[in-house]
Amino acid sequence: MSTASVAPSRRIKTGLAFVVFGILALAYLSPMIWMVLSSFKHRIEIFESTPQLTFSPTFANYIEAFSTKGFGGNLKNSLIVATVSSLLALVIGVPAAYSLSRHRGRFQGTYLLLLLAARLLPAIVLSVPLFVLANKLGVGGSYFAVIVAHLTFSIPFTVWMMRGFFLAIPQSLDEAAQLDGCSMFGAFIRIILPLTAGGLAATAIFCFINSWNEFLFALILTGKSTATLPVAVPNLMTPIGTFWGQICAVGTVTVVPVLILAFIVQKYMIVGMTGGALAGD
Amino acid sequence: MSLSAAEQVTPAPPSGGRKGGSRAVKARSQRQIGRWERVGFQGPSLLVLVLIVLFPLIYSVSLSLQSYSLVLPGRTGQWVGLENFQRILHDSDFFHAVGVTVIFVVCAVTLETILGTVVGVMLDRLARFRRAITSLLLLPMITTPLIVGLMFNFAFNAQFGYLTWVMARIGLDPNGGVLNQGPTALAALILVDVWEWFPFIALMVIAGLRALPTSPFEAASIDGASTFQTYRYIMLPMLKPVLVVAVLFRATEAIREFDKVYILTGGGPGSATTVNDLYQYRISFLNWDLSYGAALGLVTFAFVLTLCGVLYRVLTRNEAQL
Repeated sequence: MSTASVAPSRRIKTGLAFVVFGILALAYLSPMIWMVLSSFKHRIEIFESTPQLTFSPTFANYIEAFSTKGFGGNLKNSLIVATVSSLLALVIGVPAAYSLSRHRGRFQGTYLLLLLAARLLPAIVLSVPLFVLANKLGVGGSYFAVIVAHLTFSIPFTVWMMRGFFLAIPQSLDEAAQLDGCSMFGAFIRIILPLTAGGLAATAIFCFINSWNEFLFALILTGKSTATLPVAVPNLMTPIGTFWGQICAVGTVTVVPVLILAFIVQKYMIVGMTGGALAGD
Repeated sequence: MSLSAAEQVTPAPPSGGRKGGSRAVKARSQRQIGRWERVGFQGPSLLVLVLIVLFPLIYSVSLSLQSYSLVLPGRTGQWVGLENFQRILHDSDFFHAVGVTVIFVVCAVTLETILGTVVGVMLDRLARFRRAITSLLLLPMITTPLIVGLMFNFAFNAQFGYLTWVMARIGLDPNGGVLNQGPTALAALILVDVWEWFPFIALMVIAGLRALPTSPFEAASIDGASTFQTYRYIMLPMLKPVLVVAVLFRATEAIREFDKVYILTGGGPGSATTVNDLYQYRISFLNWDLSYGAALGLVTFAFVLTLCGVLYRVLTRNEAQL
């Protein structure tokens, strides 16, 4: 759009805009800020009916939740499930994405449509058969069960997203590599894959975030010793009372890594959010 | 918005049939190799997905034709034909849940579209702070949905929630907490979803505006169109394809809302916020009526598949246009 004409009072305008946008941003993000602040509060300060902005910070909630109540174990479970499922999704999905970007035919079109359908499949639809099957196979409550469940969305996601990145690399490059004596696989590993390093990293991060954030599969497929963070947090709401300070502490620990990762892949956000169906910039 | 820009640049793979016999033979053998390589590249993903998606879905069909529960006695998988599906027709709780879901999806997605478009257009015109504001707007939609629900559960707490306090200050008496009354609980759920997702629409709008040609806008300003006229009659129609895709994406996601409701209201009070996925979760994993849950899931799946078909057609049509 057209740039505004340079006004003499530009500096004042900028300052004013800064203040207005700052207040709006604070108000918009206040639920998050409030959670983080409350995680450092004492019990009494949290239950104050007038919101307290000043308080003497304490780490008691973090210590209580992560060392006494075992949320450290849940953090480890979340890391294991998200890391393993992302790596598997990449290993299985990336070659398929490459191949689908280089060949077009009826089969490829159908396969892409089915992948989109698999990605949009509501978790509740798969949760029932996966739960019954996991129990029949004796893997209910294991890492294996929840990792497999997460692959049901992360493989289709990886294929769609990486296909977009591969499409952006001209096919003449593969052909040149193959003329120089590379096999198709060699050209893929040595030439094409390094060129999509950024996209690969973004895809990996989105797979990680999606698995980290996932709740329903993890809720029904993990057991006491394999529960991920989102599954374990609601346990702090008990019939005898809700430990809000600890909930805020665990919530903060759950959210912060995701926000840092999201910051890294910011420019891929549209591609990631739409699962690679749209290539934004 | 460019849909995989390279697609038109990339020529279709040579279809063989070149001059010279030996070359043709070579081309054919290369194609044979290509086929095997394709199997090697695409095969594993296909195999895994057949095992973990297709097979469970088929298994779900067979479950839906049985009477099966892991917990309830005497229900060990007797075949009952279409009984579970007939039961759906008389399940008023299910229709109530569908109704709640429809209200939730329609209200949330409409508000998100309006707010997202307005914010997107405003951000696009912004010279400064645009990057910073866009980064901030990204935060809610990447936040763990369950934690989003918890944050607002905390903020709307009737005794000490800060939003309850704010509402009391500005004269909106939440009297007894917004989450404790049906209509306000549903409204709160919708608002939380709007909070989380309107930036998605805004982001799509910004990307869409970037891709628009400038000439129609120049022509409009030469013809003396007002700002409103330019927005209404030039920009909005040109943004329509992007908005359609964005809305469809949001709709397919909002239909399977589960995490936030689970923790924000638990479907209550009563069944005021029991959306479809939460209802099915209760049937399958609280009542342990797994075969009926499977049947409900398949009905949902059929519906989402239809929506997905629409989405795919819109996407490929755009791809062909660009």
